[in-house]
Amino acid sequence: MYREFLYFTSIFVFHGKFCPKPGKVKFLSETKIIIDANSSSFFSLKEIVRYKNLLNNLARRDFLVRYKQAFAGIMWALIKPLINILVFGYISVKINGSADAATNFVDVASAILLWQLFSSVFNDVSNSIIGNANLFSKVFFPKIIIPLSTILVCLVDFFISLIILVVLFILSGQSLHWQIVLAPLFILLTILNGFGIGLYFATINVKYRDVKFIVPVMVQFGMYVSPVIFSTHYYLERLPQWAHWIFCLNPMVGAIDGFKYCLFGGDAIYNSSYFIVSLCVSFLFLIIGIKYFYKFERNFVDYI
Amino acid sequence: MNNDFVIKVEGLGKKYLLNANLQERSDTLYGNVINNIKNLKNIGNKKQTEEFWALNNVSFNIQRGDRVGIIGRNGAGKSTLLKILSQITPPTKGRIEINGRIASLLEVGTGFHGDLSGRENIYLNGSILGMSKHEIDKRFDEIVDFAEIEQFLDTPVKRYSSGMYVRLAFGVAAHLSPDILIVDEVLAVGDSTFQKKCLGKMEQVSETEGRTILFVSHSIETVLRLCNKGLLLEKGQLKTAGSINEVTRSYLDTKSGVSSFKSWEKDERPGNDITKLISVKIHNEKDEVNEEYDIVKPIGVTMEYEVLKDGEVFTHSYNFYNENGINIFNTHDTVSEERTKPRKKGVYSTTMWIPGNLLAEGAVLVNVATIKIEPFTILMHEKECVSFTVIDYMRGDSARGNYILGFPGAVRPLCQWDTKYKG
Repeated sequence: MYREFLYFTSIFVFHGKFCPKPGKVKFLSETKIIIDANSSSFFSLKEIVRYKNLLNNLARRDFLVRYKQAFAGIMWALIKPLINILVFGYISVKINGSADAATNFVDVASAILLWQLFSSVFNDVSNSIIGNANLFSKVFFPKIIIPLSTILVCLVDFFISLIILVVLFILSGQSLHWQIVLAPLFILLTILNGFGIGLYFATINVKYRDVKFIVPVMVQFGMYVSPVIFSTHYYLERLPQWAHWIFCLNPMVGAIDGFKYCLFGGDAIYNSSYFIVSLCVSFLFLIIGIKYFYKFERNFVDYI
Repeated sequence: MNNDFVIKVEGLGKKYLLNANLQERSDTLYGNVINNIKNLKNIGNKKQTEEFWALNNVSFNIQRGDRVGIIGRNGAGKSTLLKILSQITPPTKGRIEINGRIASLLEVGTGFHGDLSGRENIYLNGSILGMSKHEIDKRFDEIVDFAEIEQFLDTPVKRYSSGMYVRLAFGVAAHLSPDILIVDEVLAVGDSTFQKKCLGKMEQVSETEGRTILFVSHSIETVLRLCNKGLLLEKGQLKTAGSINEVTRSYLDTKSGVSSFKSWEKDERPGNDITKLISVKIHNEKDEVNEEYDIVKPIGVTMEYEVLKDGEVFTHSYNFYNENGINIFNTHDTVSEERTKPRKKGVYSTTMWIPGNLLAEGAVLVNVATIKIEPFTILMHEKECVSFTVIDYMRGDSARGNYILGFPGAVRPLCQWDTKYKG
């Protein structure tokens, strides 16, 4: 049953099947290539579209392999977040002591799912380059395809775990707001956060393998300085004024608060200027990550 | 627009930085800490790195449809060149223009994942190698046929035998349809049937489909068989470019430094006051001096020498060595009439015939001598003065039969075989 589920999910997400399907013949490389010492490449959507077949196949590989030979298979995509939600939800409700425990619980659940999306994108992207060194040291293709494909895999896990949120949402009797249509934007923002920072670390990882120890520590620490277990309100009310700005330099503050605002409406966003700061930091990290990646991309093979 | 070249390389160079402290590096954590402390003192000094040019100032053109063998010793820069051409690593200097779609096969089975089935791996590997989904669909059956894995298509490849694995991997790669195919030592894997199949496939690709192939191999035999053009790299420099025979010759020469014919000026002739060597040549039955000789035909070795004293009795001798320095065989004249007669002054010529189907393929170096048997004295002994290459033209009439791959051994006689059914 898991197998079928796995299969259909992969069709759903990667739109395409392994079985033959007619399509247009495309040539992947230009008919004229010029290689010289100074040529450099930069992020280009055209190139990514050209290699989308590879992108899909790499993502499909990672996804299929992830739950192979696991008894519970894809159920792990549900079990892992579920345990986190139960533990941290319980802690949050106990400490907040709020009257509306159910709402508090759903609130924490939404933040945890988003944080897990961020942490898995961040972690997987930062390890993706060295993990696929055997590929790009043998065959040429745009290396950005590798981290992009890991995002697709993290997204599948995320969508599966969204089932938990939907169930909790209904059980706790929440009402829908119009803002819900904006929710995908904040999911995208979360991915971009993980992608930007992850690319930066993926580049460092090529030369310094310390990254594989640093990233888990950052993820763990980051969770306690982001509005995951407690809301932004909870933190800011307890922090001195000067520390507010520092708190908001965390790009995940904007993403999580925005996502909560879409789901529950109301005052999830503490202060719009803090929110905007956080958004700016997100894009700054993304630009730095991409620039840094492309600066060294061509020489990865020599350092791996 | 000049369109008849597919690859144009100008002044290509690739520099690597070597850490000069590398020898001092310790294997232990303690040693490393001590070294780091030592290095702290050197802060502010120039970084101790050494430049190493894996390739330097390499320029060449490759025409459409050529099959180019890239040869050179280990560390000559062959693999670096292929890596730069296939855009895996960037050059430090120079410029390359490539007309056409390029695919590199630097390793068979790149990107295979053991947990995925054969079918899934065909699609994955195909897309890694740059095939579109449609192309893979079109060639799917051909690939499966080539790999002979029909009944195992849905088995994870980690359960495959290594033979099946390699066949599948090469199958995907061989059915690529690039204009330029770069192949690096892929034939080192797999059994002989498989290797034969791969070679055949590559020949077909280049001959019937007119594609350009760049091929690196350490096997001169394979290169000679598959390629028509060659590039010889030495210490990162391009030494020779041209026809494959010229280039392999030059490669073997760099090992031996001599050719099939050698003569000496009057006052440089080797020898003593009795005999002096004038010239030595290797030739075939038609008395043609070549660099290569057919393995099934007799090969003549002729020396011309001058006798400076009347009345001396001596005989002639040759020693043969292969490229690995192994003494293949020695021979001295025990049959000619002249050997027992006291000689008159003058110029003599003596020819010895090596029978066909005796030497193995490869380079052969020849030592020439004149000797007295009773008592044993060496009058003249010139080492490694000529060399030649024995080639099997793969017509099936040699000791190879129809076998075309690696065939070790210092000699290769065509032996008599008898097999009887004993019940």
